[in-house]
Amino acid sequence: MSHTAKRWSRYIIAIVIIFSLNFIIPRAMPGDPLTNLLGEDVLLTDSSVIELRSEMGLDRSWSQQYLDYWWGILHLDLGYSFHRHSPVSEIIFSRMKWTLLLALPSLLLGGVLGTFLGALAGWRSHRKGQKMQTALFLAIYCTPPYFLCLLALYLLSFKLDLFPLKGFYTTGSAVDIAHHLFLPILVMTLFSLSRNYMIMRGSVLQEKSSLYAAFARAKGLYDDEILFRHVFKNALLPIITLLAMDFGFILSGALFVEIVFSMNGMGNLIYDALLSRDYPVLQGSFLIITIMVVSANLLADLLYSSLDPRVRWQ
Amino acid sequence: MSSPLANAAPLLQIEGLSVSFETPLGRVKAAQDVCFDLREGETLALVGETGCGKSVVASAIMKLLPHNASVQGRAVFAGRDLLALGEKEMARTRGSEIAIVFQNPSLSLNPIIRVGKQIAEMLQVHKGISRTRSLQMAEDMLSRLGLVKKETASMYPFQFSGGMNQRVMIATSMILSPRIIIADEPSKGLDGVLAGEVMAEMARIKDQVGASLLLITHDLLLARDISDRMAVMYCGEIVEIGKSREVFSEPLHPYTNALLSCLPERGFQPIPGSSPSMIEPPAGCKFHPRCPQKQDKCMRRPEMVQVESSGEFSGANESTGREVRCWLY
Amino acid sequence: MPDVTKFSRGGLILFLSFLLMAVFSPALAPYDPWVRFEPYFPPGPEHLLGTNDMGHDILSELIFGSRVSLIVGFGAALMATLIGTAVGLLAGYFKGTTDEILMGITDIFLMIPQIPLIIVLAAFLRPSFWMVALLMGSLWWTSTARVVRSKALQVREMGFVQASRALGFSDRHIIFTDMLPNIFHVIMPKFMLSIASAMIAEASISFLGLGDPTMKSWGMMINFAFTRGGFINGYWWWYLTPGLCITLFVLSVVLLGFALEEQEEATMRLE
Repeated sequence: MSHTAKRWSRYIIAIVIIFSLNFIIPRAMPGDPLTNLLGEDVLLTDSSVIELRSEMGLDRSWSQQYLDYWWGILHLDLGYSFHRHSPVSEIIFSRMKWTLLLALPSLLLGGVLGTFLGALAGWRSHRKGQKMQTALFLAIYCTPPYFLCLLALYLLSFKLDLFPLKGFYTTGSAVDIAHHLFLPILVMTLFSLSRNYMIMRGSVLQEKSSLYAAFARAKGLYDDEILFRHVFKNALLPIITLLAMDFGFILSGALFVEIVFSMNGMGNLIYDALLSRDYPVLQGSFLIITIMVVSANLLADLLYSSLDPRVRWQ
Repeated sequence: MSSPLANAAPLLQIEGLSVSFETPLGRVKAAQDVCFDLREGETLALVGETGCGKSVVASAIMKLLPHNASVQGRAVFAGRDLLALGEKEMARTRGSEIAIVFQNPSLSLNPIIRVGKQIAEMLQVHKGISRTRSLQMAEDMLSRLGLVKKETASMYPFQFSGGMNQRVMIATSMILSPRIIIADEPSKGLDGVLAGEVMAEMARIKDQVGASLLLITHDLLLARDISDRMAVMYCGEIVEIGKSREVFSEPLHPYTNALLSCLPERGFQPIPGSSPSMIEPPAGCKFHPRCPQKQDKCMRRPEMVQVESSGEFSGANESTGREVRCWLY
Repeated sequence: MPDVTKFSRGGLILFLSFLLMAVFSPALAPYDPWVRFEPYFPPGPEHLLGTNDMGHDILSELIFGSRVSLIVGFGAALMATLIGTAVGLLAGYFKGTTDEILMGITDIFLMIPQIPLIIVLAAFLRPSFWMVALLMGSLWWTSTARVVRSKALQVREMGFVQASRALGFSDRHIIFTDMLPNIFHVIMPKFMLSIASAMIAEASISFLGLGDPTMKSWGMMINFAFTRGGFINGYWWWYLTPGLCITLFVLSVVLLGFALEEQEEATMRLE
């Protein structure tokens, strides 16, 4: 099998497996699959229960249900939330844009700054000031993201009253939104930055001792010139895939940030769904998140292939 | 390959160069009190077994040693002591005035940057030449070294053989017409024919550019063929120095003699004993435990002494620059 | 490099302190964390960190909370490391189709969004801490597998392994006697980092309220603080202290992991 075919097949298989997991879970979990599919605390009359059971295909064979499931997905039908009285896909898509508004700038900023600072950290690892900076980012790396939020909220909103406490907006103007978004994006960026920092630093530390870096120095290149003309790209390549895989982790972090800041994105959607046991929303969210994570991995893979000439020439 | 010798001014003067490394296993004395001159236009070969310290000397001159090395002595070039320079100043000197060609060409080049760009980088960083023009000059340099195809410059090192990468390295080091070129084992890993070709090209360009060549090698025949003068190193010290042909035909130091006897054409006789440790070297003359002509005196370290050479190579009035570190003289 | 040792020594001391805290909780805690006193008590001489909404002494909760973090962190990491090492070793040693298949599986597992999946499963199952540790372990082995595999590929080509194979030793023997000891020092740092990840994940899950209600965990403390008015009312002692503990415990583990990595590199340089 060619390299590209192998790669694509892995992604497709991954999606199939995860989606199938999503199918199996409510049906394999303890309890009545109907409850698992509808959510608990949904009030229904006995007759509507029977109706729903046949409507949802629960009286049909598993293989038939499986096919129906895939049919639904391909039509973007992610089920219906009885708690919110609307189709799951609608709910999710309306919330998703807020989460992306929070996550994407943080990811980009954290990614760029993190790799840049991390590269410098790896390059200048023996300098005193550098060690302090690394220790700081290490501490941030070790802090659960939601705790970072609580700290930020406490210090900057509660005590110093600099920023609003919750929500995406109060008046809806662009400035207002930016004001509300500042703290969450700050925390998210720090979170993403610290992770990228550590990974890039490690990679540069490894590449530092390579022969081509020594030869670059022998050619008369000075300090940072060696880093940015040679080592940076070599150090970045092997970790592009790592950084993309971290995307899933960072996205999960975003969910927590939303919860703490009481913002109406997917994070709080999932949280509420959790509290009210609204399983369809939970599963739908899981699917969407999976698609986003797998796409990120695919993008990173493609990016890597186009950047590394050794792969291109295979 | 001859060039004017005795009256040429020394371009590089190494005085009392000593290098030691702190390692978990102890203090490695890699070089001790190394002194030699490199004159304009000449080729000086630094020969010795693997591990005798010759590469360390080269790296020390270029200030490319790792952090745990301590260096003493002077390396005077163009009126300045290189060893006393700051890193930034030294960086300007490297590549443009003194260039070095490493041992492992395929690993010394950045695998993911095009070859032409790596050569052109020298022109961009040192002379501020524009990208297009420097790439053009890089291409010209490559064709002078035998890599004539236009596409070569835009290819990557991993697509080339060791010999081609070696030529890329030579192009890199010569493109700024440095006054000194240090070649560290340039023929290592190349088969006989290819090594000869590469060395011939190198010598050609060297003469064109008027540079001096410091050749580091364990290949005695190569040293004899292309160098004017030869310095023999053993266990971190220079034990003999002189015109290559003289040293070859009339070796003075017992080690040189033994070394030459190892050559297939001279009998393939190994030197008895084993190489000494550089952490705890023998006292006095480093070679004395293995020397067939050792005396009691040899427990004290001999100094370098000048020796008048007999035979056809000496002129009536000029000094031959022949020196040995041995109590026999 | 003296600074590295300073950090790793600090990490070791921190780690041991937490370890002791976990093991000797009953002796160290001033009260049983389940005993009720007056709720919402601010810090004072009797309750150094005050009490929570149910009247439990927060300091005692804090001390007992270390147990959960340790158990879940350790359990998950142990499982992840065992699975990861097995997969990586087999893939790296046998190469060929085994390698392809195992790496394919690894890649797929890598793409599963871990915390969301645990959330979904936890929502359905309402698991105990052991289950949570098990779940995490069965998702986290992938990074260990990759590292072990690349090291195994290296070690496999080394002289003494080739010699053993030429001499006809069984694969099983070679894997256990020759390869494993040489891969060990790569596994250890990864093990420590897995503990760190697992601890953060446990804290996150508990924060969402999905943790085991029968045991006190730091994450759950923060959850209660957040949902039961601790945050709004500014009772920083309730939620800042457990958060700090999580950060410090994770930090100590990460520092130890780094120290082990440094040691491994130093040994390699000597070789």
